[in-house]
Amino acid sequence: MKLKFLTVPLAVLIVVQTAAAQQRNFVACPIVRDTRTVPCFLAEYEGETYFLAVQQDISADQYPPQLLHDVLVEGTIVQGPRVCGGIPLKPIKLSVLPEVNPACNTILPAEPGIEAPPTRRPAGPSTRQAPAAAPPAAPQRPAPPFVERDWKILYDFDSAFLFSRDTRIVSQAAEYAVAAKAKRIEVVASRGATLLSSGKVLVESEAVASQRAERVVTLLKGLGADPASVNIRVVSAPPQPDGKTDPDNRVVSIRVSP
Amino acid sequence: MTGHPFFTPLGSNGRACVTCHQPAYGMSFSAEAARDLWKRTRGKDPLFAAVDGANCPNLPQEQEKSHSLLLERGLIRVFLPVPKNAEFTINVVSDPTGCNTSPIYGLNSPTPTVSVYRRPRMAANLKYVTNPAPRIVLKLGALADVDPANGRPVGMNFMADAREATLMTQARNATIGHEEAQSVTDDQLRKIVEFENQVYVAQISDRSAGSLAEPGAPQALGPAAMASHRPGVLGDNDYDSVFLSFESWKKGGDSAQEQFRASVARGAELFMFRQFWLRDVTHINSIGLGNPLKRTCATCHNHQMTGQDLSAGFVDLGTTNYPRWTEPPLYSDARDLPVFKITCKPEAQPHPYLGRVIYTSDPGRALISGRCADVGSIVMQQFRGLSARAPYFSNGSAKNLRELVDYYDRRFDMKLSEAEKQDLINFLGVL
Repeated sequence: MKLKFLTVPLAVLIVVQTAAAQQRNFVACPIVRDTRTVPCFLAEYEGETYFLAVQQDISADQYPPQLLHDVLVEGTIVQGPRVCGGIPLKPIKLSVLPEVNPACNTILPAEPGIEAPPTRRPAGPSTRQAPAAAPPAAPQRPAPPFVERDWKILYDFDSAFLFSRDTRIVSQAAEYAVAAKAKRIEVVASRGATLLSSGKVLVESEAVASQRAERVVTLLKGLGADPASVNIRVVSAPPQPDGKTDPDNRVVSIRVSP
Repeated sequence: MTGHPFFTPLGSNGRACVTCHQPAYGMSFSAEAARDLWKRTRGKDPLFAAVDGANCPNLPQEQEKSHSLLLERGLIRVFLPVPKNAEFTINVVSDPTGCNTSPIYGLNSPTPTVSVYRRPRMAANLKYVTNPAPRIVLKLGALADVDPANGRPVGMNFMADAREATLMTQARNATIGHEEAQSVTDDQLRKIVEFENQVYVAQISDRSAGSLAEPGAPQALGPAAMASHRPGVLGDNDYDSVFLSFESWKKGGDSAQEQFRASVARGAELFMFRQFWLRDVTHINSIGLGNPLKRTCATCHNHQMTGQDLSAGFVDLGTTNYPRWTEPPLYSDARDLPVFKITCKPEAQPHPYLGRVIYTSDPGRALISGRCADVGSIVMQQFRGLSARAPYFSNGSAKNLRELVDYYDRRFDMKLSEAEKQDLINFLGVL
C-alpha cells in the first residue's frame, strides 16, 4: 500500500513537472522576421527563439503582436520542426502590453530557408475568390427550445478591448438573449495574474475587470438585450496564478437564462 | 438655383453651403481658389468670415495675414470643446494664430475651446461616404454611432473627426456654425441633403490623358461611373479592385497620351500591389492585424470607387502628431499651426504608438471621443476629383500630389523610385 501511495503522487509530479518544463511564460520584445511571403513574429527567451504568430487578418484565431510594445507570451512547447526559425508553442496566448516600449523595434530581413507557415491571405490584397453570385444564406437565428447558455470572452493581459473575434461572441449572446426573451443575463468580469517562467507574477490593473464588464454590457444592451435583465458582477481579486491556466482568468462570462 | 438652401445664405455672414463646396473645385475648394477670391474681392467674400475663415475672429479681418491658414492651406477653423469624459489633459505649447490662448476664444476662456484647422471635404459621392456601417465598429470594438432620426448605425466616415452622424445633422450644424444662422428649417435641411445626394464628382478629362470617360476608358473613371456604381464594396482584393481595372490603358503606345495612360495604369497597380511595411497606424495595426503589417495602399484605402475605408475611417496616419507630422520642427519660426500637449491620465489606455504624452497640431477624433488612443486619428478622405482641390491631408500640408506621395514614401519607407512616384501622381490625378 505504501508503495502504491508513493507511486501515484510521483507519477502526478512527473507529469506536472514535464508540463511545467514545456510551459513558457515570459515578457519580451517581439521580433519581426520578413519572409518571401508574409512576416513572422518571434521572441527570444533565455537564449532560445520562439515562434509566436504569422501575419494574417482579423478573421484569424491568433493575432500577431506589435512592435513598440512588449508581448506577454503564455504557451506550451510542441514537438516538431521549427516554424520560421522559432520553436512553436501551442496552445499560445499573446498579449500586447499597453505601454509603449521604443526598444521593441526589430525587423529581420527575409533569409533563404526561413519560410512562413501557409496563410489564407498573402501580403498584398486578398486573393480569396469572390463569393458565388447566389445570395448568401440568411444567418441562422437562435431557435427554441431556449435553455441556459454561457459564453466566454478571453482577454489580452491588461486589456478591455473587444477585438473582432470577441464582438462576434457578444453578438451571439445578445442575439440569443433577444430571441429567448431572456429573463436574466449575468455578466461576470474578472481580472487575472500570470506566473511567469521566471517565478515573477504579473497582476492586471485593478480597473480592468470593471472596464471589461462595462464594455460588454454596453454592447449587449446596444444589440438589443433588455437592460433590466442584465446583472453585472465584477470579481476584483485575481486568483492565484499557476503559470498554466492563467489566461483563462482574464475573462468575461455571459450567462443567458430564458 | 436661387432660393435653394444649398446656394442661398441662411445665416448672417453671407455664406451658403456652396461657399465652401464649390462645383468648380470638386465640391470643396482649393487654396489657390481662396487666394484668387481674396484678390478679386479684397477679402470681402463671405468665405473669409471672421467666425472660421480667419485664423481667429479677434484678428484684424482686413489683413491678409489674419487669414493665412485659409489662403495658404485652404483651412477652416474648427472650434470644439474638450470632451467632458476626456481621458487626457490638454495644454497649448505653441499658438501662432493666438486663438487657443485667447481669453475670449481659447482654452482658458469662459467656454474653453480648442481651435484646430481643417480642409472642407467634398460634398459629393455621398452614397459611398455615408454607406451604413455594421452595428459594431471594428476599430473600436464598440457600437457605431446612430442616426438620431431612426436609431440605425451610421458609417462614421465623413467629417475629419466623424463628429456628425448624418448629412442632416451636418447640414444643421454647418448652417448654424459656418453660416452663423439662428435657425434652419427641416425643409431647408432636407433640400440640402437631397441635393448633395445627387452630386457625383470625378475627374472627367486630363490634359495629358485626354477624356477619362470615353468608351474603353478604365471603368472607374468619370462621374457617371461614380453615379452608377454601387457603394459598400470592399476592393482590397485582386479580383475586384478598389478602382477596378486599368488594363485597357496598360499597353501604352508611341503617343504622349498613350504613354501617360500607361503610367496611370502602372500607378493603379502600385496602389493595389506594391507592398511595404504599414506600421504604427492607430486603428489599423492596433486592431489585431499586428504591427508592422506587410500590405499595400489598398489595405486601408479599400472602399471601391472612393479609396476611403469601408469601416469607420479614422486612423492616425501621423500627419498631425509629432514626430511623424507634416509640420516643421517645434522650435521653428515657420510653424503656422498650433501645437498641443496631450497628457493621458494614468487610468487611460495610452496612444498605441506614442504613449502617454503626445504633441499634436490636431487631436482629431480624440476631441470627440475623449480617448487618448484616438489622438491624431483623422477620417481618411475620398480620392476623387483630387486635381481640383489641392492642398491635401486634413491640415492642407501637402501642396500638391507630389508632396502627398512623398509623405507616404517617407512615412512608410516605401522606397519608391522617381518613376514610381510619377506613376502614382498620374494615377491619383485622373481619379
